[in-house]
Amino acid sequence: MADAYRLVGRPLTAPLFYTAGGVIDGAALLRAAARIGASLAGDGPVLNLCTERLGFAAGIVAALLQGRVSVLAPDRSPAGLAALLAQFPDAVTLADGDPALTVLPQDHAGPMPDNLAIPAGRLAAIVLTSGTTGRPVAHQKAWGALVERSLAAGERFGWTDECTPWSVLATVPGHHMYGFETSVLLPLHAAVATWCGPTLLPADVRAALAAVPSPTVLVTAPLHLRALLEAGMTPGPQQVISASAPLDRALAARAEALWGAPVLEIFGATEVGSIASRRTVGAGGGGVESGGEGGGEAWLAYPGVQVAAGDSTIVTAAHALPTVLADVIEPCGDGLFNVLGRQSDLVKIAGKRASLAALTHTLAMLEGVEDAAFLIPDEIERAGRLVAFAVAPSRRADDLLSELRRQADPAFLPRRVLLVDRLPRNEVGKVPRQALLSLLAASGVAST
Amino acid sequence: MPDISQHHPGQDDVLATRHDLAGLIVSTLSLDMTPDTIDPDAPLFGEGLGLDSIDALEIALAVSKHYGFELRSDDERNKRIFATLDSLAAHVAANRTR
Repeated sequence: MADAYRLVGRPLTAPLFYTAGGVIDGAALLRAAARIGASLAGDGPVLNLCTERLGFAAGIVAALLQGRVSVLAPDRSPAGLAALLAQFPDAVTLADGDPALTVLPQDHAGPMPDNLAIPAGRLAAIVLTSGTTGRPVAHQKAWGALVERSLAAGERFGWTDECTPWSVLATVPGHHMYGFETSVLLPLHAAVATWCGPTLLPADVRAALAAVPSPTVLVTAPLHLRALLEAGMTPGPQQVISASAPLDRALAARAEALWGAPVLEIFGATEVGSIASRRTVGAGGGGVESGGEGGGEAWLAYPGVQVAAGDSTIVTAAHALPTVLADVIEPCGDGLFNVLGRQSDLVKIAGKRASLAALTHTLAMLEGVEDAAFLIPDEIERAGRLVAFAVAPSRRADDLLSELRRQADPAFLPRRVLLVDRLPRNEVGKVPRQALLSLLAASGVAST
Repeated sequence: MPDISQHHPGQDDVLATRHDLAGLIVSTLSLDMTPDTIDPDAPLFGEGLGLDSIDALEIALAVSKHYGFELRSDDERNKRIFATLDSLAAHVAANRTR
């Protein structure tokens, strides 16, 4: 554990990112970051709204070079952005298409900035999540904590040999914590380079696999993994990492059989980042040297990370403040633990999360809505969509949906808003899930 | 004889594919609407039909199963292909293998 870590902790000639146009090494990234930094006004935080992965990464490094904080916001709805600008009034914004965000292979233009040693305790990023009240919650990330976690992941998954760097293909966005760690920060300190082209569709991933050097690791979520398997994509990556939702064991087994690659899961949360891993099928642990301790259900904490059970679950790690986790865990020795469930009502779709209470509140506050409820379907990863119920005699369902679209992140937009005469509230005023499912089934019958 | 992968479909082909594709989109995404109420010229994503990237993934999978070719999202041309039901139907009609 060091007091400071260099911005790029690898040889500056090592590849960090791959693009269709060529390789971006550490020197090219630093040069681009210096130019981007020089283009930023003032000295406030950098609101990094880029969705294009390379521009996003260069913006992060530019902020670090200047000693600024990057703000990562999953909610890109107009209302979400307005709230963000109110919360960070002195922030400057970086977004796709900004001419300063040009990152070129073999870049020898302009001054080469120092590869700074940044104090471990410096605040590097603020990552926002939806809170239970609808107000975003800010999670502060110290530079040292982020770097130590990259190093721990490298050790856990075997990404340490500079002679054989791994290529990262990430189907998850770089501006959510999981993708931020694995596809943006990781190349700065572990022996990996991230593909920056599109990865949304199976054909994109197929093309990306052909474009980057082996070995490759696919960093993904269950929904995308299922899509790749259904598309019958071969050849596959040499390693698969999944996170953001529980991975079905049968799906993991299918991927292992098709590609002959281990399928590993990361356990984490925006509050604490990635903290543990396991191999979904077979023995637990999920490391290159996973010793088969514990069952396949158990998670093995990352090197340097402690997860303690008690009245609440507390995570401690190098350079990070002790953090309370929303999950209840049960330790089973040797750094292994089981996850028993969540303490809250958070719903997670496609790597994003929101609170059901906040979503319900948003719907209930719309004009003419007297009562409202959200239903999480059984197979959220498969169906991927919430269903909303509203009592609103004077409103049309599609108008309510349009209004919600302006206020909620698209991932949490209900597939449909069902107008009902009243909600099936029980004697304590709660809406039982089973009653909503019955209501949904009844509406399906009625509409056919 | 035109190359099957890049043949130029007639207007009837595109209309037939459009009808078929609208049904596929509605059933794949369990949309609460009938296929003929999708405006062929309205944006599929964002405003308009309001689909997102997860929907794009599901549509791409359904298209490859149903029409026997894969969609990509990797350039500006492909963004235009996904723009509306009409543009997607034209692309599918030109590239379908079944």
